Amino acid sequence: MRNGFVVLLTLMAAASSAQAAEPVKNPPPTAQQWADLAKLPDWSGVWNPKITDQDAQVKTNMPPWTPKAAAQIATMLAAEKAGRPPPIFVDCLPEGMPSWMLVSHNAMEFLFTPGRVTMLGESDGNRIRRIYTDGRSHPDEPDPTFHGHSIGHWEGGTLVVDTVGVVPQAYIAISEAAGVPNNGDIHIVEHIHLATPDILNDDLEITAPHVLTTTWKTTRIYFRQRARKFDIVEGVCLQGSFSEKVDKDGNAVFAPISKEWGGNMTAPNAPH
Amino acid sequence: MKRLPGTLALFCTLIGLAAGIGTVAAHHSAAMFDQTKLLTLTGSVVELRWTNPHVTMLVNGTVKDGDQPSDWLMETTSPGNLMRVSGWGRNSVRVGDKVVIDMAPLRDPEKQGGLMKKVTLAATGQSFDTNIRDQEKPDIE
Repeated sequence: MRNGFVVLLTLMAAASSAQAAEPVKNPPPTAQQWADLAKLPDWSGVWNPKITDQDAQVKTNMPPWTPKAAAQIATMLAAEKAGRPPPIFVDCLPEGMPSWMLVSHNAMEFLFTPGRVTMLGESDGNRIRRIYTDGRSHPDEPDPTFHGHSIGHWEGGTLVVDTVGVVPQAYIAISEAAGVPNNGDIHIVEHIHLATPDILNDDLEITAPHVLTTTWKTTRIYFRQRARKFDIVEGVCLQGSFSEKVDKDGNAVFAPISKEWGGNMTAPNAPH
Repeated sequence: MKRLPGTLALFCTLIGLAAGIGTVAAHHSAAMFDQTKLLTLTGSVVELRWTNPHVTMLVNGTVKDGDQPSDWLMETTSPGNLMRVSGWGRNSVRVGDKVVIDMAPLRDPEKQGGLMKKVTLAATGQSFDTNIRDQEKPDIE
């Protein structure tokens, strides 16, 4: 009876101790960790996507769509060919993953800090990918986000990235006018590496059980600029919806311009 | 019940029309422009929006001799891409500049808009290309 009581007390103490356990923290980086960044491959500079290859892959590397997704893609491609491309990226929302890697026309850059690789896209301040390389796992239930929860590790000069937790509304786009939302449960694995000293490849493996019948593999190509005039400048996509005006008090202001469906601007009417 | 098909048809027409009209603020396909045609718009810059992902300009001008000048919405790629392709920077083309623009017009004949291929400043003759698929190489000086 006394032994049982001791066991019970021990269990209660353990439970109490677990409840009072420290929250997980990100420790400050050590000097060694900063120094170790110098051993990583040089991904500095500004990276432009190879758009002609994006164009070509629409024909040469169509994803293994489910029949329902394939039908939608076919309709979109036909509409585009007829000069009425459906606007799938609207209202300045991020393209998200994987479409940023697949169809962006804008530049990007990489930042290396201890335990993290951060990607910044030119198009807007909300094109950010945080890739955690500090050994953590994905959370059990990541908050769904446009770019997902990414963890990575280095295998030599290759960054291997695993991404889950992407919002179901994020498109798998094959072009700016054709794509379908992943509809949830998308899983993206990437091997990012230099193919030549100034050409970077992102080998993507995209598994999306609601819209793809098998894993789709595609390599996207980026080429590097170093000239300072190509430094990425702040982009604010919504700024395109405003005109620079002066208000009644002489203040410089942004005034909204007339928009229409999809948050896009309308061209003037032809005079008759 | 009789009304429903009409409403549905109107809805579809609106969607179709909207998709065909010049879309600007989003990252979108250039298929709404007729790239088999090349028009030349001569006029002056009314407004410049130096923004991502698409730089746009409102230009007041004419495409044919004898036309009354009117407003056209001109569109091109991002500021970063313009700098890379032809050195076109924020201050290269300004409000008030007289310009000659080679452009692919919108397919919708009711709307005056186009995709800029080349912009020439009338005052200096300096011109800027916009073909982002042309300069796909690293280490551009």
